[in-house]
Amino acid sequence: MAFNLVLSRLWAAQGWKVKIRDKERTEPPHVSIIRGRSTWRLGLRGGQLLDSTPSPSEVPGSLLEEIRGQFTELRSRWDEMYPHNPVSSDKATHD
Amino acid sequence: MTEPLFELRPNEGRIPFSGASTTLKTTEDVRTAFQQRRGRWIAPDIGDLDLLRAANEPKDTWHRLLVLDRPSRGRMELLHSLFRVVVAPDEGVSLLKGDELRDVLEAEFPEDYFIGGIIDREDERLVLFRGNLEHLLVPLPWLVTNTATSAPDYADFEVTDSGQTLRFGRFEVATDTVLYEFDPHARRRMKERQLEQDDSLGASIRRLRLTKGLSQGDFPGVDPKTISRIERGEIDKPHENTLKALADSLGVAMSDLGTY
Repeated sequence: MAFNLVLSRLWAAQGWKVKIRDKERTEPPHVSIIRGRSTWRLGLRGGQLLDSTPSPSEVPGSLLEEIRGQFTELRSRWDEMYPHNPVSSDKATHD
Repeated sequence: MTEPLFELRPNEGRIPFSGASTTLKTTEDVRTAFQQRRGRWIAPDIGDLDLLRAANEPKDTWHRLLVLDRPSRGRMELLHSLFRVVVAPDEGVSLLKGDELRDVLEAEFPEDYFIGGIIDREDERLVLFRGNLEHLLVPLPWLVTNTATSAPDYADFEVTDSGQTLRFGRFEVATDTVLYEFDPHARRRMKERQLEQDDSLGASIRRLRLTKGLSQGDFPGVDPKTISRIERGEIDKPHENTLKALADSLGVAMSDLGTY
């Protein structure tokens, strides 16, 4: 089941969604920030936006802070949904 | 470059569906549009298709049509003779609507979104319609990995999030993961956009392995320690037999191992 982060009313009213879907690009672990036709991937290891487009500057800083404030839960959800590639793993570790 | 988007609109009183389209008002406009090598067409109302009555069957067409009202069976045969692909509402077909559909059609890369699809249970295939009105076929078993914590409900299928999510009940699939797997051109575009990425062969193999939901122990004939060393870059030129074994287990051509 996809996980949808409950955002504050301000962001939800503007059409922002943050979710971890059941089938995402697996590496690196991330959450998807969606608004209209745009999706930004926010890495769960370093907390940074992963792609150059759509432009990272289009995501409000305070929204990013709100999402990062929920990282404990988001990382836990990712690990539950993708146990073969948990947030804590990287290329230096074995499976 | 995005292909032209033609909108059939014989009734000038109707507001255009897309502000980015070229309006076709007469049969002469239709003939001129067909002279272009390829294009996407949209007919928001069933009456718009009347403009095609005088169209001659082209010898070789790369034009594709999206109809928002369901045409009759007979008319569908005519449309299929004029267009390489015809996307139309029908039983079991999920299509984006309104602003979401318009946004995708007007995108710089409409092919990176889905505007709809239908599930073919008989052949175990998901038939998806991309924003450029091309098809993409996805085997249903691909949707579910052996680590999935829930299962898709194929009786409740919808394209959502402006073409960026496929929803099967409460099970959701990201459009970009479908394109990453099945479209090498889209995969290359996504890799170019990534801000920090290890482009080595080992890193590509690791990403592909994780996408398939496989562990390092899932490769017959290849020691997991060898796979670990390849993925960490400690072996930068694996033996050809090893690469073949990896490619076979991952279900890709050897030449594609470094493209993920």
